[in-house]
Amino acid sequence: MLLMFELLQQTAVLIVVAYLFSKSPAMDYLSGGKLQKRQLLFLYVVFSLFSILGTYEGLPIQGAIANTRAIGAVLAGLIGGPILGLSVGLTAGLHRFSLGGFTAFSCGISTTVEGLVGGLVYLYLNRRKQPEQVFHPLIAFATTLVAEMLQMTIILIMARPFTDAVALVKVIALPMICANSVGAALFMSMVRDQRRVRDKVGALFSSKAFTVADRTLGILSRGFSSETAREMAEIIREETAVGAVAITDRSEILAFSGIGADHHHAGNSVVSKWSKQALFENRVVFADGFNENFKCPLVDNCPIGSVLVVPLQVDQEVVGTISLYEPKTKLFLNINRSFGEGLATLYSHQLLRSRFEEQKSLLVQSELKLIQAQVNPHFLFNALNTIMAVVRKDAGQARELLLQLSTFFRTNLKRSQDIVTLEEELAHIGSYLEIEKARFGERLFVYQQIDPVLLNLQIPVFTLQPLIENAIKHGVAHLLDHGKVWVRAYCETGFVIIEVEDNAGNYRPPIEPQGLGMRLVDRRIKNIYGQEFGLTVACVPHEKTLVQIKFPLDKEILDDSGANH
Amino acid sequence: MIRALIIDDEQHAREELEHLVRATGVFEILGSCTNVIDALRKIRTEKPELIFLDIEMPALNGFELLAMLEDELMPHVVFVTAYNEYALKSFEEKTLDYLLKPVSPQRLLKTVNKVRDMIRRGDPPRYQAESLSHIPCQFANRVKFISPATVDYVYSDVAGIYVVTHDGHFFTELTLRVLEERTALLRCQRQYLVNPERIDEIIFFANGLGEIKTRAGNTLPVSRRYLRQLKVSLQL
Repeated sequence: MLLMFELLQQTAVLIVVAYLFSKSPAMDYLSGGKLQKRQLLFLYVVFSLFSILGTYEGLPIQGAIANTRAIGAVLAGLIGGPILGLSVGLTAGLHRFSLGGFTAFSCGISTTVEGLVGGLVYLYLNRRKQPEQVFHPLIAFATTLVAEMLQMTIILIMARPFTDAVALVKVIALPMICANSVGAALFMSMVRDQRRVRDKVGALFSSKAFTVADRTLGILSRGFSSETAREMAEIIREETAVGAVAITDRSEILAFSGIGADHHHAGNSVVSKWSKQALFENRVVFADGFNENFKCPLVDNCPIGSVLVVPLQVDQEVVGTISLYEPKTKLFLNINRSFGEGLATLYSHQLLRSRFEEQKSLLVQSELKLIQAQVNPHFLFNALNTIMAVVRKDAGQARELLLQLSTFFRTNLKRSQDIVTLEEELAHIGSYLEIEKARFGERLFVYQQIDPVLLNLQIPVFTLQPLIENAIKHGVAHLLDHGKVWVRAYCETGFVIIEVEDNAGNYRPPIEPQGLGMRLVDRRIKNIYGQEFGLTVACVPHEKTLVQIKFPLDKEILDDSGANH
Repeated sequence: MIRALIIDDEQHAREELEHLVRATGVFEILGSCTNVIDALRKIRTEKPELIFLDIEMPALNGFELLAMLEDELMPHVVFVTAYNEYALKSFEEKTLDYLLKPVSPQRLLKTVNKVRDMIRRGDPPRYQAESLSHIPCQFANRVKFISPATVDYVYSDVAGIYVVTHDGHFFTELTLRVLEERTALLRCQRQYLVNPERIDEIIFFANGLGEIKTRAGNTLPVSRRYLRQLKVSLQL
C-alpha cells in the first residue's frame, strides 16, 4: 500500500511535467488529425524523455524498479500510432535494459510491447472512425491497465529466477498497474481540457468578432460620422468589455465610450501621442500599460492605463482611428489587441466599399439628372411655341397641351426612385408624345403595341424616354413627312423585349452626344440584370432604326398580373 | 414693304411667325416654306429681301440652305430658333439678327427696325456663307449628301446639274456657280467642274482646247476660256 502511495506521488511529479507540456507550443501537435514527420519526431523525443523520466523516478525494489515508465510509451502509441509507440517503447526499454537488474531484459521487452499496445488501440479507433477517442481519459486508463498487466505477465514469463519474479510481481503489480493507469488517464484528461479551452476561446473569439461585425457594419454603411461612430463605440465596448472605446476621424474624436468619458469628449481634437502616431504614420500603436503607460494628456488622474490605436484607412489614406483602452487596474488582453486590429481592417474595407457605393450612386444620380437635362430646353421651347400657335385656333387643345406639358415636367422632376413600372414609364412618355404629335402634326405617327401582361414590369426609371426622344429628335424630325414611331413590349423565349422603332434610319453610332442617353440606359440595365441584357441597335439606313432592350423575364410578373386581370 | 419669306418645318411655328410678322405691317410675305429645298427654289424665283429662317429642319438645316445659295441671291437673314446654346453667339456676329421661339412681338419689332435701317441704307446682307461640307443631292424621296472630296466631276445639261461620283450621277439643286464658289471644284468648261484631286492627266490640243482624264477614267472637255484659269489654279 505504501508503494502504491509512493508511486502515485511520482505520478504527481509526472503530471506536473505533463501540465507544463500541455501549456507548451507542443500542444499544437496534439490537436488531432494526421501528424507530419517533424511533429512525430518531436513527440518521439518528448515521450521518450517522459518515459525515461518515469524509470528514473522509480523506486528500487527487490532488485527491480517500480516505475511509471509505461505512461510515456502507451500515450505515445495512443497519440501517434503504433510506430511512434513502438519507437518510444523501444527507446525507454533499451534505457531500462541498460540499467541492469534481473528484470532488465523483460522490462525492456515489455515497455516496447506497451508502446505497441497504445499504437494498436490508436489503429483500432482510427479504423472505427473515432480518432478523437484516443484523447478520452478512460481509453488511456484502460489501455495502460491492459499494457501493465501484459508487462507483469512478461516479467513472470521471462524474468529468471521465476520465484523472484513471482515475489516481485506480487509486490509491484497492483501499485504499478493502478499508478500508471491513473497517471495516463490524468495526462490525457489534461490534454483534453487544454484542447477544449483552446477551442472554446477560439469559438468565443470568433463569435464575438462576428457579433461585433454584424452589429456595427450596418451602422458604418450609413456613413462615417459622429452619430454612427457613437453607436459603434458603444457596441464594441459592450462586446469586448474593454475599459473604453474611442473612434476618431483625422482631427477630432467622433465618439468616446467608457471610463474617462468625463474628460474625453466627442468633439475634442485628437491630442494623445499614440493616436497621432497611428494617424500620421499609418500604423497600429500599442501602449500595453506595462512597458509603456498611457498618459492622459488631459487630466492627471485619468483611469486609463493602456491603449491600442488602430488606423482606419481607405485607399491607403488614413481617415481615422479606433482606440481600445483599459484601466490602469487591468491588463490589456492579447485577444482584444488582435480583435481591435481585425476590426479596424474590417471597417477599412467597409469604408472603402461605402465610398465606392456612394460614388456609384452619385454617378447614377448625376446621370439621371443629365438625361432629364438633355430633354429640357429644345423640347420645352418648341412645345411652348407650338402651344402659342394653337391658342389662336383652338383654346381647348392648347389647354390640353399645357396640361400634358406640366404633367411631363412634374413627373420628370419628382422621379427620384430608381425603378418604376412599365405602365408608369409609358404614361410619362405619353405626355411627351402628345406634345410632339401636336408639334409635328402629320409628320409624326406613334403606334404602341404593349403586351398588357407586362404593364407591371419593373424597369429602371427613364429607360424609355431617351429612346423615344432619339427616335423623334434624331429620327423622324429629319423626315420630310410620314415619320412613324413604334413602341412595343412583348415576351420572347424567356426574355422581355421593349423596343422603339422609327422609319428614319438615321442612327449613326459614334455621334455624340445623342448616344449618351442610350448608353446610360444600356449601362444601367447591364448593372442591374447582367451582361447578357441591355440595349442593341439595328439600323437600316433610310429605312428604320430599331432599338431593343432585353430584360430578364420575371415569372412573378406574369403570375401577378394574371391574378390581377 | 419688305419682301420676306418664312422658312420653318413646323406648321404651328410657321403660322405663329406669319401671324406676328404680318401684324407688324412692314412685310410683304412671299410665302412659307417647310424645308430647305422648297426654300431654295422659292428664293430663286421670288428673290426675297429677308428670310426668317428656322435652323433645325429635316434633311437640311438653315445653315445648309445659306451655303447652297449663290452670293447674289443672298437675302438678309433672321434666324429663328427654339434653343441653341452654342450657336447663338456666332449668329449675332454673322447674321442680321436672331429670334428665339416663342417669339415675343416686342422683340420682333426691334428686329424689324434693324432690318428696315439696313435695307434703307442699302447694306449688303451680312451673312457670309461658309464652304460646303457636303453637296445635297435629291435622291428619290430623300436627300443624299455627297462629300466634295469624293466627287469626280460635275456637269450641267438641260435637265439640271449632276454630281458624278464612284456611285453614279446625282441630281442637285445647287448651281455650278455655288459649287465653284463654295467647294474646291474647278471650272474646266462652261458646263463642267472637275475635282483637282481627281485629275489623272491634262492633254493640251494645238487649238488651245484641252481634255482632262480623271482617275476614274472619265474624259472632260476643257475650253479655251477656262484652260488659262485652270493652269493658274493648278500652278502649271
